[in-house]
Amino acid sequence: MIDWSWLAGHLDAIAYRTLQHVYLAVLGVAIGFAISFVLALAAARYRVLYPPISALSGILFTIPSLALFAALISLTGFSVVTAEVPLVLYTLVILVRNIVAGLDAVPVDVVEAADGMGHSRRQRLWRVELPLALPLIVAGLRLATVSTIGLVTITGTISDAYGGLGYFILDGYHRGNFLTEMYAGAVPSIVLALAADLLFVRLQRRITPWTRVRATEAAS
Amino acid sequence: MLEPAARRAAIVEYEHVSKSYATARAGRGAPGAVNDLSLTVPAGKICVLVGPSGCGKTTSLKMVNRLIEPTSGRILIDGADIAGRDATELRREIGYVIQQVGLFPHQTIGANVAVVPRLLGWPAARQRERAEELLALVGLDPALYRDRYPAQLSGGERQRVGVARALAADPPLMLMDEPFGAVDPIVRERLQNEFLRLQAELAKTILFVTHDIDEAIKMGDLVAVMQVGGHLEQFAPPAEILAAPASEFVADFVGADRGLKRLSLTRVSEIALQPVVTAHVGDPAGDARARTLADPFPYLLLLDGSDRPIGWVSQGHIPAAGSLGASLATPMSPLLDRRTTLKDALSMMLDADVQTGIVVDRTGRLRGVLTVEAIAAALRPSADPEVIASGASAGATSAAGMSAAGTSAASPPGAGS
Repeated sequence: MIDWSWLAGHLDAIAYRTLQHVYLAVLGVAIGFAISFVLALAAARYRVLYPPISALSGILFTIPSLALFAALISLTGFSVVTAEVPLVLYTLVILVRNIVAGLDAVPVDVVEAADGMGHSRRQRLWRVELPLALPLIVAGLRLATVSTIGLVTITGTISDAYGGLGYFILDGYHRGNFLTEMYAGAVPSIVLALAADLLFVRLQRRITPWTRVRATEAAS
Repeated sequence: MLEPAARRAAIVEYEHVSKSYATARAGRGAPGAVNDLSLTVPAGKICVLVGPSGCGKTTSLKMVNRLIEPTSGRILIDGADIAGRDATELRREIGYVIQQVGLFPHQTIGANVAVVPRLLGWPAARQRERAEELLALVGLDPALYRDRYPAQLSGGERQRVGVARALAADPPLMLMDEPFGAVDPIVRERLQNEFLRLQAELAKTILFVTHDIDEAIKMGDLVAVMQVGGHLEQFAPPAEILAAPASEFVADFVGADRGLKRLSLTRVSEIALQPVVTAHVGDPAGDARARTLADPFPYLLLLDGSDRPIGWVSQGHIPAAGSLGASLATPMSPLLDRRTTLKDALSMMLDADVQTGIVVDRTGRLRGVLTVEAIAAALRPSADPEVIASGASAGATSAAGMSAAGTSAASPPGAGS
């Protein structure tokens, strides 16, 4: 059922498409995070901004991706921009909400102590609030990355130049459900998603050691 | 520990300070307004702001480190108006302790203590050194605690870390907002005592907020009683608050048992002890009997060779001849240390069902006896000047010397009663 000779002959292509997949996903999450970070900080500082930011990112999330690609092609052509814009927009709703939720979860007494001891607003943000928001921020990144890895496959609908591993799935489909090629796209993309998930779990444990300590024997 | 040169204390002055809030913000949990508050906290003293919730005590405190800005009036630290200071710089010079402690959960205990030194840009090695010094000062072994996270500590330990953190940059002024309010009563008592001992050594100026009048009386050199609406009702040493409440509100607030509370402000050493007829083991009984019969108090106190009390001998049981044996003595009144408070002394006497307590010095030698009548006399308003005078002579520098904390601060550190 699996055409091994096809696979053996296309190892280079599979490697290339895997790298492209990772590139498109990482670029999308990175840009999405940069935008979300700024929006979330603005929303956390000026609370009136949060409802509109949250609503807008929610509305963007509901636009069907294929429709968005189609609409963008008329604006930005078959460029990488057309591939990345939807990827970026879909990360916003997850990332903005998680960063704001992370900042909101900082205990009020900690914020008061930080102010009372003489942290400037910036020092409080970088030394106290953002570190304490890390668990939720990383959780948001994890979710955004996994869903973006899934979404990259359909950027192949823009042109053969994109799509990462999704190219094989579409190409196999066009060849009349050539399963070997479709698997060559599907299996590595699933592996990528799982690997990314695991990576973020590890990262989380690594950078938030305080969340793992348990109250031990404690005699006032 | 701390170099003497580094010890300094600030003077804090409130000059007609008011803070009003829009009515929309009023209600439960809203910060209390403050109405024309004027008071001066002398250097090196603990000033307790006390009152019911909504009386503006916390608002008054937070205006000193500018977490809240006054609507009108001025606050001066060492004569300088704080309104002209950069708020973050000002806060780094003021220790701040809050009820929920507010340790940074993501930093180790060592890093938490060094927060202000880090903000001030001290070299890393000096920050570490200072953190360890302070952990030791508050009774936490640095080797054991330095690398732990706050979640691994008990409430009492966290609160000590909170105090260590506030002291890190050796501030001349500390603000403490219900610092011992979140721990259980036993731990609270221990933390209070430890803090008073620490303060006896550090002599910082401390503004301390509590809603608990007993804590105010215990901790304060000066107590400011505030009323809802932010009115200062009385500002005086605790003994004076108890003996002469300035208003019905203060009298109500300190409670119907304020007479009893005054007992905890006075120590045995501050009131005149009565002499008592004594004799040593082996003394001629006849002479002792004659002396006891001549005294209105019908008991003889038998002492050992080092003047340490052995017990009472009723006048009827003293033999007419021979010598006094230790076996004559009957069960003893409680032995009172000179540093025991009158409240504890009375409690011990009630427990032992006696009217007389025997007061001894550190080596156990007899100093005199304390009677229930003497305690009652010390409570009479007319007796106050004497009680106060005996305290004030020890701390003649200011009126605050007469308070409970003043006298306990004058006692040797480490000698807990």
